[in-house]
Amino acid sequence: MARIELADIQKKFGLVWGVRDVNIDIADEEFIVFLGPSGCGKTTTMRMIAGLEEPTEGEIRMDGEVMNDIDARDRDVAMVFQGYALYPNMTIYENIRFPLRMRGVPRAEQDALVRQAAGLVELTDYLDRKPQALSGGQRQRAALARAIVRQPQVFLMDEPLSNLDAKLRQAMRVQIKHIQRQLRITTVYVTHDQIEAMTLADRIVIMQSGAVQQIGTPDQIYNDPANTFVAGFIGAPPMNLIAGRLADGTFTAPGLRVTGLPERRGGKVTLGIRPEDCHVTVGADHLQGIVFGVEPTGETTYLTVKAGEKLVEVKADRDFRADLDTPVAVGFDTTRLYLFDTASGDRLR
Amino acid sequence: MASMRKKSRGDNLVLRYAILGAWALVCLLPVLWFLSIGLRPRTEIITPQPIYWPTFSLDAWHMIWSDWPMARYLRNSVLAIIGSVLIDLVLAIPAAYSLSRYTYRGRDDIGFYILSTRMMAPAIVAIPIFFLFRNAGLLDTIWALMLIYAAINLSFVTWIIRSYMLDIPKELEDAARTDGASDLRILWEIIIPAILPGIITASVIAMIFAINEFLFTLLIASTSQAYTMSVALANFTGGSDGVIYNAIALVAFLAFVPVFIVVVAIQKHLSRGLTMGAVKG
Ligand SMILES: Nc1ncnc2c1ncn2[C@@H]1O[C@H](COP(=O)(O)OP(=O)(O)OP(=O)(O)O)[C@@H](O)[C@H]1O
Ligand SMILES: [Mg+2]
Repeated sequence: MARIELADIQKKFGLVWGVRDVNIDIADEEFIVFLGPSGCGKTTTMRMIAGLEEPTEGEIRMDGEVMNDIDARDRDVAMVFQGYALYPNMTIYENIRFPLRMRGVPRAEQDALVRQAAGLVELTDYLDRKPQALSGGQRQRAALARAIVRQPQVFLMDEPLSNLDAKLRQAMRVQIKHIQRQLRITTVYVTHDQIEAMTLADRIVIMQSGAVQQIGTPDQIYNDPANTFVAGFIGAPPMNLIAGRLADGTFTAPGLRVTGLPERRGGKVTLGIRPEDCHVTVGADHLQGIVFGVEPTGETTYLTVKAGEKLVEVKADRDFRADLDTPVAVGFDTTRLYLFDTASGDRLR
Repeated sequence: MASMRKKSRGDNLVLRYAILGAWALVCLLPVLWFLSIGLRPRTEIITPQPIYWPTFSLDAWHMIWSDWPMARYLRNSVLAIIGSVLIDLVLAIPAAYSLSRYTYRGRDDIGFYILSTRMMAPAIVAIPIFFLFRNAGLLDTIWALMLIYAAINLSFVTWIIRSYMLDIPKELEDAARTDGASDLRILWEIIIPAILPGIITASVIAMIFAINEFLFTLLIASTSQAYTMSVALANFTGGSDGVIYNAIALVAFLAFVPVFIVVVAIQKHLSRGLTMGAVKG
């Protein structure tokens, strides 16, 4: 129910950069996911949107209105905190009801809302407990319930499912997406989990060291990475990034030779190829190496090939098996190769 | 093997209780001793011969209630102490909140300055305080006692509460703020309940100091109008009757009992509070 614009946002903690040059335009009703390694500034960005942290520079606008000087209390956002932040002296019921009381929701409606939110996160049996008497996952769900109990302009969720087991996480993911779609509330979501990011997001924001690396739909992020960081960060196992030389349309690196590449580029180039776009071949092909490791996962088998000093991940057939150190050849799907400038890491298009 | 281990643990437990029991006896002996003095006739107390079978007497008990306005002393003590603790809390909680939450220039200096008021000898300010209260027309009133007890205790009450507040994660307040709570509400609904053990600890310690306060009470209270238990004790030492030991002992015991009960009742909070205050600066 609100468009959020972050314009040239900078945040410095003394001499430490928290966030640098962040420009994001979050559309109304959009589900946006922040993804990035620990310490890259996801929480800081979120806290600035919530009004808990003031940007050192830049403007935060909601529906066109500058929010920099608006107190957190008056921003009408609901936030799930990374550390849960449940009120220790209150029961779970009172915790979930707290925002309703503070926002002046009529008393008569409060009980039903609290129970509904608790039901969604499967905590109905724990409403009378104090937070200390809950497990980590239960606390996290209580924190989630406290956020979704009312209908704010914006949901901010900082790793709201990080402490749940796989099954519950999947169930909660569906709930969150459903609530967001149903209530049409603009949502900013932080996670470390790529599956979560890919399945929930309308658009993903990839951050590193306080700076935005790429903003795009899950498809764009996966299929059209802007630089080596994004390429290496997304996907499990991640994209192979092989440094080498490009000249006259031919890329070479130890054990590796790919022809038919654009001739206008040259010099030190990094070639990117996802493991699922590689296949084991018989006879010579793009990559010649030796078997370094074989990992059957049941559904598929991952093969690690050593070429020169470089280890390359290849997705092989599910019943592919090979002895260590035997020679192996790998072919690439050449329509799915990516080239990056080795020095800057930027994509060469 | 298993039974041996069990046995040794049993021995251990007996030993533990024996040591604790002995220590408790050592601590309680003076208390029991002056209770026994308080419940014996005067003649028996001042005799130099040892007495193995003391006579029980309520002489002192009757005397302190009929010859002296002990009920009023008691009332004065209670009102002055409770009043002073309330004043302390009203002043200390916001001060501690500010010291623990906001950053501003000189904050740590102010914190230290507040604490440092505790470091000087009270006698230094006795005379100025006497004149201050006289000019304000407060001499010989329990209002003056309330104020002076509050002033004496304010520094460490603030300091203890502050150390508790430092332990509250900032995220908790952030959550309350995004949930729509005002600063006052956050203080009232989130912070105060969370630091209740600290508030109780600080209050009890303040209470104990206030009950034992003698110098300023003597200075300010000149008639039974504002005498408290601690000063009343001093009354039994002069006059034509000489030192009335059994009355002194009984009044001292009466002053001791309420504190003892309170401390036992909140023991759990107290021990936690004292150690917490100790480790966090
Ligand atoms: N209050 C603060 N004072 C100083 N530095 C801070 C403060 N808060 C955050 N930082 C720094 O800012 C950077 C970004 O922190 P932030 O908490 O936003 O990371 P994050 O992306 O949420 O990480 P994580 O995934 O581990 O939660 C970090 O380098 C951190 O050390
Ligand atoms: Mg974080």
